[in-house]
Amino acid sequence: MIKQYRRLAIPYIVWLSLLVFIPTIALVILGFTNLTSSIVFSNIQFTFSNFTIFSEISILTGFKNSLIYASLTTIISFVTGYLLAYIIYKSKFKNKFMIMTLMILPMWSNLILRIDGLANIMSNNNILVDLIGFSPLRNLIGTPVGILIGMVFTYVPFMILPIYTALEKIDYNLDEASSDLGLTPIKTFMFVTFPLSFKGVVTGAIMVFLPTFSGFAIPKILSQGNMIFLGNIIENKFTNTVYNDGALLSASILLFIFLAMFLLRRFDKEGETLL
Amino acid sequence: MTNQVYPKAHLNDYGYKEIKHIKPILKILAISFAILMIFMLYLPIIVIAIESVNSSVITSKFDSFTLSWYTNIFNESELLNAIKNTFIVSLIATSLATVLGTLFAIGIDKLPKKMKSKIVFLNNVPILNADIVTGFSLMLMFRFLMLLFPNIFGLTTLVLAHLFFTLPYVILSVLPKLKELDPNFIDAAMDLGIKPYKAIYLIVIPAIKAGILSGMLLALTMSIDDFVISFFNTGAGFDNLSIWIYGVLGRRNLTPSVYAFSTLLTLLTGGSLILFNKINQRKGKKHTK
Repeated sequence: MIKQYRRLAIPYIVWLSLLVFIPTIALVILGFTNLTSSIVFSNIQFTFSNFTIFSEISILTGFKNSLIYASLTTIISFVTGYLLAYIIYKSKFKNKFMIMTLMILPMWSNLILRIDGLANIMSNNNILVDLIGFSPLRNLIGTPVGILIGMVFTYVPFMILPIYTALEKIDYNLDEASSDLGLTPIKTFMFVTFPLSFKGVVTGAIMVFLPTFSGFAIPKILSQGNMIFLGNIIENKFTNTVYNDGALLSASILLFIFLAMFLLRRFDKEGETLL
Repeated sequence: MTNQVYPKAHLNDYGYKEIKHIKPILKILAISFAILMIFMLYLPIIVIAIESVNSSVITSKFDSFTLSWYTNIFNESELLNAIKNTFIVSLIATSLATVLGTLFAIGIDKLPKKMKSKIVFLNNVPILNADIVTGFSLMLMFRFLMLLFPNIFGLTTLVLAHLFFTLPYVILSVLPKLKELDPNFIDAAMDLGIKPYKAIYLIVIPAIKAGILSGMLLALTMSIDDFVISFFNTGAGFDNLSIWIYGVLGRRNLTPSVYAFSTLLTLLTGGSLILFNKINQRKGKKHTK
């Protein structure tokens, strides 16, 4: 074993500790201060008064909207994403590289541009109606269904890839063994395949839930500004340089992230399904 | 001998259900579902492509087919600037992430088991963390650093932030390949008189090439597509493509050349990925022969 190579990891350990722990701690601490851009670092003061923002109706609505939409998006992505991953897994198409390409290619068009494209075909007069006479998503802009469609089809690749990775690693012999032992295909799926692919589901659920819970571009564009999500509030605090409130709200998202870490540690310690 | 008739057991008695007759229907359903899903994933891209050949600037009307927006890319100085910034940041961040990530991964792979699992877990944090929290917290830290280095906001902070969230992708895709690599190879190389760090270059890297490449591809994709983290960490006047589009969309006067550029980029990327896959397959076949 080459122990010398260990030295190569040291800079990364330092880098991770610096950039994971310090900013996070700074974020939490700042939530308890009076720091906005107008205040200089020298007269920084600690205060609990920022917590009053949690009683503001607009912020509570933002939390509620984010939570409902992120949960629904995660559930819909799980059902559709699992089905698609399972279909690919059962098909003869085994080229992982091409599957990955198919899933990540849309990401090479800018996220904002893609959402704007969706917003275009969701409005009443849109380019598809003009071109071919109808649009499958017509008149959905500003509606909850429209926002959900936007979120699901932006983030579902992050559900499909981990599930496919987990499915792909299942030994086919297990499938045969369970048939030999008399399980029907449905029971095999329920007792063998699904439990073995569950870590992919956990990873996928985290990778869909967190960005939809905290994102601000999709709700802003697809609800045409009519609906406030948590991310929009944080964005506003940032653009108005109310850093303390922004930090406190971001820190509240940390609670969900800790939960996600806990789940991941339990189901997929090595992070095998993250890619 | 008695003519007793024994009860015959049927497969159905064991809960077996003949599903042969519904199999074709299931197959058709599965294929149409898969096509629908992929169509929905690509629907925004199709819309962008249509907009890019639409001669009208009004996004809801299709006038006539034109390719002039493609040539017009070079006349849009703001767009060109945003594209340039995006590529500078992504290329620097991705190359750094690929080189450093590979070296870090080689180091992490050799750490004691407990330590290794801790680092691998910590490595997942930037991937999982909500973009807005990463963006906001990095921004706060850079703001503290600003007291020491007043002009860092802009290219420096963007590259650092992008490096922060792309490194984990490279490390995650390299680590499994390292696991498959037989450590005896390195030992053998050293027995033959090669210095340890030269062995990385001569033995390890060729063996984990596939992992490095897919890590690089993921890192580049994430970096090019990033909006939220860049939004928080850029300095005044240094807009990348997403930030610029987000700003211009608010004012509702986006030039269709953006659609042209986006379509071009998607086609080029898709084309080169398919080509790359073909070459790889051919190589693979040669090796097995």
